[in-house]
Amino acid sequence: MNLPEDFVFSQGNLQDYVDCPRRFELKYLRRQRWPAAEVDDMAAFERHLEQGDQFHRLVQQSLLGLPEETLRSRINDDEVARWYDAWLANGLAEVPAQRWPELTLTARLGKWLLLAKMDLVAIEPGGAALVLDWKTGRHQPRPERQAQRLQTRVYRYVLAEAGARLNGGEAIDQTRIEMRYWYAQHEGDVLRFPYDEDQYKADGRFLRDLAREIDSCEVFPLTEEVRRCRFCVYRSLCDRGEQPGSLAEWEGDEDMALPTDALDIDALDEIAF
Amino acid sequence: MYLLVKQQQVARQNLDRKIFLEGLAGTGKTTAGIERVKQLLQAGVPPSAILVLVPQQATGLPWQDALRRSRAPGSAEVRVTTLGTLARELLELFWPLIAADTGCAQPLAPPRFPGLELSQYLMRRFVGGEIERRDYFRGVTISRNRLYTQIVDNLNKSALVGFPPEEIGSRLKSAWRGSSEQAFIYDDAQACASLFRAACLRHNLIDFSLLIDILRKNLWPLENARGYLTRRYRHLLVDNLEEDTPTLHDLLRDWLPQCHSALLIHDNEAGLRRFLGADPAQAHSLRALCDLGVTLDRRRAMSVDVAALHHALAKTQGREAGPMPKGGNGRAAIRWPGRARWHPQMIDWTVEHVARLVHEEDVAAREIVVVAPFMPDALRFALQTRLDERGVPHRSHRPSRALRDEPEVRALLTFARLAQPAAGLAPDRFDVASALLSAIEDLDPIRARLLADALYRDGGLLPFEHIRDTRLQQRITFQLGEKYDRLCSWLARVPAEQPLDLFFSAFFCEVMSQPGFGLHRRESAGATVANLVDSARNFRRLLTELDPEASVTADYLRMVEEGVLANQYLRDWELDRSEGVLLAPAHTFLMSNRPVDYQFWLNVGNSGWGRRVYQPLTHPWVLSRHWEPGRKWLDADEEAAGAESLANVALGLLRRCRKRVYLGISEYGERGMEERGPLLLALHNMQHHLSSGAADV
Ligand code: SF4
Repeated sequence: MNLPEDFVFSQGNLQDYVDCPRRFELKYLRRQRWPAAEVDDMAAFERHLEQGDQFHRLVQQSLLGLPEETLRSRINDDEVARWYDAWLANGLAEVPAQRWPELTLTARLGKWLLLAKMDLVAIEPGGAALVLDWKTGRHQPRPERQAQRLQTRVYRYVLAEAGARLNGGEAIDQTRIEMRYWYAQHEGDVLRFPYDEDQYKADGRFLRDLAREIDSCEVFPLTEEVRRCRFCVYRSLCDRGEQPGSLAEWEGDEDMALPTDALDIDALDEIAF
Repeated sequence: MYLLVKQQQVARQNLDRKIFLEGLAGTGKTTAGIERVKQLLQAGVPPSAILVLVPQQATGLPWQDALRRSRAPGSAEVRVTTLGTLARELLELFWPLIAADTGCAQPLAPPRFPGLELSQYLMRRFVGGEIERRDYFRGVTISRNRLYTQIVDNLNKSALVGFPPEEIGSRLKSAWRGSSEQAFIYDDAQACASLFRAACLRHNLIDFSLLIDILRKNLWPLENARGYLTRRYRHLLVDNLEEDTPTLHDLLRDWLPQCHSALLIHDNEAGLRRFLGADPAQAHSLRALCDLGVTLDRRRAMSVDVAALHHALAKTQGREAGPMPKGGNGRAAIRWPGRARWHPQMIDWTVEHVARLVHEEDVAAREIVVVAPFMPDALRFALQTRLDERGVPHRSHRPSRALRDEPEVRALLTFARLAQPAAGLAPDRFDVASALLSAIEDLDPIRARLLADALYRDGGLLPFEHIRDTRLQQRITFQLGEKYDRLCSWLARVPAEQPLDLFFSAFFCEVMSQPGFGLHRRESAGATVANLVDSARNFRRLLTELDPEASVTADYLRMVEEGVLANQYLRDWELDRSEGVLLAPAHTFLMSNRPVDYQFWLNVGNSGWGRRVYQPLTHPWVLSRHWEPGRKWLDADEEAAGAESLANVALGLLRRCRKRVYLGISEYGERGMEERGPLLLALHNMQHHLSSGAADV
């Protein structure tokens, strides 16, 4: 058995496994840090991630009720300002009023847990139950592709499994659930993915099988899709090339690329006085 | 899980009440707390309504691990965090509402969080020049970095304890009973603290002290911000309350009445973080706000023999020892060494016994800890190499060297100097040879030196073909020469303005970790370089915002040389989850709150056990809330504080030991001086309280 007792699955680590089992092993089982660049233009990439971060915070502040004018007047980046305006215009269109921003839910997955951190969940009593995700990347994927992403499958599944506490203790019927991606760089275009019982059952089977496979697999092979390695920090560790891929071709998920901000404010006693 | 009746009162009953749970370490308080969380979840409390607060991240790990391991629905969602992290989250979210009242000069711009490493740099930048100009701290013989740390520490204390930063100097001075000429250093400390704070406000730099100050003055009084926490987290659990600060205690006074339930866990006879502002007395006063008090007094961790040892040592230390544990043989729980005269013999003895436990008695390595009052690099390195020789896995609270002293980091710094000649910091020949040695696989020190001698000219590396002497070429070999050329041509292509962090990561990935080069598949080197990249990136981001004209690369390289940056290695707490014998300062182990079967106490004769670290510019007792204004700090106070600290540490260690303690003693310490510190004396005095025959090895 590979997984430590306290291991928790998420859309991120499952997507990594599906993309490349070796990456899953390095990142989550061996916790290997490897300081390579994801893309060729790291300065632009970093700026983009910061913009994404700023935008997500603005939305969270707005949902917490901070005055729009106060928020708007402080944006010092034109692109973020445009995204925010677009979000104000239609980001919450047809979104039920009962809202849980930055919500984390977990569901059982066989003997493990499956965790989902959602930008926003909104539920209409007896009506729609939406999971919303704000995307700030340039690339808007084709719907067929996005439907297969682990995020789409995991978030809807987790809401169906663990959403009862948002719904007066009643499990949410799958047909009420929808995953909605909102694209800041595409004037607030949305991709919607409704749910139903068949898909829910298929997702459950798929995710449980995947978890079992990961736990029992003896070797974590390198992906056969070598083009993935261009955007993977481990490429020199795997002898899969030197140069990172071009930012223009990067189709990754900014949620997964955000640098982990090592917060050291609690490490004061490590200083030698 | 089997729980004692009193644990059940906390874990399974009274789920809607506020409980003050106290007891010595190792009596099962945290276990009861973790079970209470599971019970709350089972009772239908949403995990998002539960908050576990701990004084530092390490103390939270047992909670996170146990909750995740339980795999109970919702258990992985329960938030386990510190006050500092919550404060930062609040500040980021509510900055637009409070910025204008914080005193920050740019309320429309976002706040910046420099973190610990950069606070040192900022201290140097904002205060260093003034110290030189005004000749501050004349006669104080500590390094500049430690001096900065203590100024930062004073500011932190003012925020955490809750007194104005302008009072730092006067408070310290009023307790000083030495000569008045000496007291000027407190004025200097005050001037530096004020300068630093003013500069932070000018640039929206929120260091830890300012963060806590803003939390107290601006965020907590703001209904929106306070409600963000109090409305969300209706069920509070606070572990190691005695290790937390008056700021948290003040907040809890407001917060507790609004909670649906609470559990405050207090370790009696602790207060190990007093030097960071912990206030056990004030923590205990929160008992009055709870509906129910529960005291756990049955040891859960210590075996009966260790309990007997604890009893004897507590008596020696004048602590309440309670009844002698029945059937306990304290001598069976302690191993005295044979005669070790010199320090290395003590280390050998330690490693031999650790190896015996692991290899012959099948003890899991994670069940062993080796502690010392301090764990200097030399001691850690000596232990690590000897444990490696004996095949014993180990882990450390930090790597054996500061980041800047790791060979791969030194090599990258040298290559950065070569690649950025405009910085005007050409490396010396010796460094170039060492860097080549690290970078090129199969290169040995002699050939590295030959390459550097032959091809390092005027701050740059010439191609291999510049060696005209064919014997020399053959001696170095064309194969190595080819790799050398690859490295040089890569360096030659580096754009002049490439930020240093990007240089490090690109050079690492495209050259040093490629097949045929020195860091190929070197996983630990990858992790080390990742830390360097973080350090350089954080520096670049901060400096370009502070001073767009600054030459970031040259400044960074200079700061590393001066020991201001890449000097500490802030720990990756995830390491605590790995297996292996833990090598750590006693204090670090104590705060991790994880009992082990076997402990090795090293340098038992060292006076560092129970003596304050020399901190001439700050004072944890004088800057606490309990210090009477105007009272002098006397020798008797110093002695009492030392005795209290010794008892807390030594007894605290025993409470986290299940089976046996090994004492590492040598007549002469690391510096070759005879050592007879207070712990050694206490242990000798304890002997006659122990029951049966000695168990020497
Ligand atoms: S470099 Fe390629 S093979 Fe290696 S972990 Fe990354 S994606 Fe997988």
